[in-house]
Amino acid sequence: MANINDILERAEAPAIEAEDFGSGFIASGEEYNSDAIKVLKGLEAVRKRPGMYIGDTDDGSGLHHMVYEVVDNSVDEALAGFCKNIKVILHLDGSCSVQDDGRGIPIGDHGDGRSAAEVALTELHAGGKFDQNSYKVSGGLHGVGVSVVNALSEWLHLTIGRDGYLWHLEFHRGDTVVNADGSRIRRGEPSTTAGTRVHFKPDPEVYSMTEFSFDTLSARFREMAYLNRSLSISVTDERDEREAHFNFAGGISSFAQFLNKNKAVMHDPPIFVQARRRLDDGRNFEVELALQWNDSFTEQAVCFTNNIRNRDGGTHLTGFRQALTRVVNDYAAKEGLSKKQAEPLSGEDIREGLTVVISVKLPDPKFSSQTKDKLVSSEVTPIVQTVVAEKLGEYLAEHPTEAKRVIGKAIDAARAREAARKARDMVRRKGVLESSSLPGKLADCQERDPSKCELFIVEGESAGGSAKAGRERAFQAILPLRGKILNVERARYDRMLSSQEIVVLITALGMGIGEDKNVDKLRYHRIIIMTDADVDGLHIRTLLLTFFFRQYPEVIERGYLYIAQPPLYRAKRGKSETYLLDDAAKNAYLIRAGTEDVVVRGPKGEVSGQELQKMVRRIEEFRSTLRRLCKRLGAQQDDRVVAGFVKSTRLTPELLDDEGELQEAIQTGLDWLRAHHPAMGNPSARMHLAHEEATGHINGSIEVKTRKEGVTRTTHIDKRMVAGSDFRLLQTRISEVENALGVGMYTLERGTTVLEVDDFESILDRIFEFGSKGVQLNRFKGLGEMNAEDLWATTMDASKRTILQVKVEDAVNADSVFNVLMGDEVEPRRDFITANALNVRNLDL
Amino acid sequence: MAERCPHCNKPLPERASNAAYPFCSPRCRTIDLGAWLTGDYRIAVPQDETERDGPSESQIRGSSGDSEVN
Repeated sequence: MANINDILERAEAPAIEAEDFGSGFIASGEEYNSDAIKVLKGLEAVRKRPGMYIGDTDDGSGLHHMVYEVVDNSVDEALAGFCKNIKVILHLDGSCSVQDDGRGIPIGDHGDGRSAAEVALTELHAGGKFDQNSYKVSGGLHGVGVSVVNALSEWLHLTIGRDGYLWHLEFHRGDTVVNADGSRIRRGEPSTTAGTRVHFKPDPEVYSMTEFSFDTLSARFREMAYLNRSLSISVTDERDEREAHFNFAGGISSFAQFLNKNKAVMHDPPIFVQARRRLDDGRNFEVELALQWNDSFTEQAVCFTNNIRNRDGGTHLTGFRQALTRVVNDYAAKEGLSKKQAEPLSGEDIREGLTVVISVKLPDPKFSSQTKDKLVSSEVTPIVQTVVAEKLGEYLAEHPTEAKRVIGKAIDAARAREAARKARDMVRRKGVLESSSLPGKLADCQERDPSKCELFIVEGESAGGSAKAGRERAFQAILPLRGKILNVERARYDRMLSSQEIVVLITALGMGIGEDKNVDKLRYHRIIIMTDADVDGLHIRTLLLTFFFRQYPEVIERGYLYIAQPPLYRAKRGKSETYLLDDAAKNAYLIRAGTEDVVVRGPKGEVSGQELQKMVRRIEEFRSTLRRLCKRLGAQQDDRVVAGFVKSTRLTPELLDDEGELQEAIQTGLDWLRAHHPAMGNPSARMHLAHEEATGHINGSIEVKTRKEGVTRTTHIDKRMVAGSDFRLLQTRISEVENALGVGMYTLERGTTVLEVDDFESILDRIFEFGSKGVQLNRFKGLGEMNAEDLWATTMDASKRTILQVKVEDAVNADSVFNVLMGDEVEPRRDFITANALNVRNLDL
Repeated sequence: MAERCPHCNKPLPERASNAAYPFCSPRCRTIDLGAWLTGDYRIAVPQDETERDGPSESQIRGSSGDSEVN
């Protein structure tokens, strides 16, 4: 119920009281009474309007301020260097005691028959807080002193350890209790320990709420202990036997860590900055900062002036922020970390995820309001700025790893902001995401029902042209994209999708992007990526798949994304034309054609027709498996050796444990190599044995030296290779052929043509030769080589084509391919493409 | 494999409760979109790579060896 008069009264109160206090000194004994009355009047004012002095008496805040006020006095003593431990006890009877191990309040006569301690507890603003000479910075919550607490307590017991004794003073609602002998302060038992204990019970006549909250008090004391690292505060609640003890040697660094608890931090420990300066007017100034970034996106700044929380920050926070922005930008520029950034990093970006604790201590701080929510002392800003600039600069220079991480995060934040802005702009640009303004590049279909519509994303303009000409206009739309090529260096170029193309794609899809995305608005339920079967095509497809996976995963999850299967070959034989999807299809075609009217004879039997087709396919499988096996050999090895041993010997893992048989096999293998590869020089072989006690195995392996391309090669055949699945598959295929034809010379007979071969693998080559006769085989280098009819007949006609549906796993895979492709190293990239090329599923539609 | 955010590499929240999938947060997704829109995503192709044959066609095109267009 504060009205303007209350506020004026309160504002003037200290001056008036000080005057009265002064006159009290000069006053003689007779005049003491009237003075005492005046003093009582002072405390009566407190009781009359407690809210003005201590805060709300109904919601508990005023009640807790009582404790803080008392504790602040002890903290003052601690800051002055005389007190280490403060013990707060919440008693069963609703009272509270605060005990410290400081010097003890002076008990000497104040000159008027009252002890200094009594004056401190009965007169407003009688404490040391207005004493400019002492090192006094503690705010005290309202600066009114412990006398207010006294005035608002039903009773207060003061115990002082000082001068070798314990001293007792008692008060009742602010009045000093006079002993029977007329004395006011009572000397108790001897004591060597110094300190002050204030035990008080809040007056229920004043407070409607008198229950102390352990948690509220703990939170505040925890804060105080962080802010004053030498301080040790314990709280005991006798009502439920709870206890907490706060002492943080790490000070506000520990505070920052506490605030970042459960968050992933970017560096640890926090950055700590501390300095003491003397202000121009001679006041001492002290600043401490602890800062630590976490991976969240919010800034948390906790500011204190003289241990009092400033919820709205103020001049200290301003100084810190200015310095932070400047120092980080200077460092980033110097280290070349922000080269890609068009503009310097903004303070907001730098402070993203930053937790900072700022604590300043100075006498006579100025605040914007009674609640001290904001520090306004303007002299604070430049000092904090200077200190932070200097110390933070040092830190960054000495911790390049941490600095890089923090700046990386700020750059990320800047990019996020920039990206969000770009995305917003794009959406805002009127109608760009509405189907009413479709991009000019898009040849849309007539149908409007998305479930019937198809969008072909076609690589290149010329293929796009063929596709436009060949499509079924009613429901097939064509969007040509070529990707952009950037010549980065002489030996390298970069393939990318231009932002223009991305925008066109987003617009064509019609379902928005980012926050505004709505898959129900997607305009096509079949989106078919159609790219060339070369490296560029693979890259464009990888980019597109990655883009869809990252920005439109729901399109893939709903099964709307496909990959077209344009043929790689066209085979013409007489009048008939056949399109062949890939090399495997081409081989199958040639085998089918090449086995027509052919009989193959061996020492044991003959094969023709369907049987022959099957056998030749098996030989083809033998060859591709052998190739795969040899690919795993190092460059210094000779694949012909492996092939020769596979064909001529019957190596098994068991055989490698039998020295005699192994020797025989080596001889057979060498003979075969000499017979079939005279150019090899004279191959020599060695047998290696590695005895194994436990099993009795000798683990034989073969080492063969040959010459290939003028270089000596050393090839190893060991148990691991022989036990492998590829090796065993090879053996199976050989047995199948030899069971049917036998071992030796083979003849192929087609009409009048008779061919003889001594190696069953050669049968395959002869069959390919037969098959290729009279066949005109064209390999399409790209989609652009196909005319509209070709493209329609092979790839777009829904009744004939094969398209592959992209699954989420494929897209995840594309994403990791993409990540590898983004890298600069060539070798892992090539290996990766080969090993992880998209295994999209076959789906006939 | 444990799924991770393609931008910041943090483990992903449950798919069902994550509207920003395959990112951990709308923010990471936005950064990614920004990268597409500014042409940051590039695949570097050394010149010699284009002269060679690409990876074998059957591997690019999927696993099926027998599929054939009718």
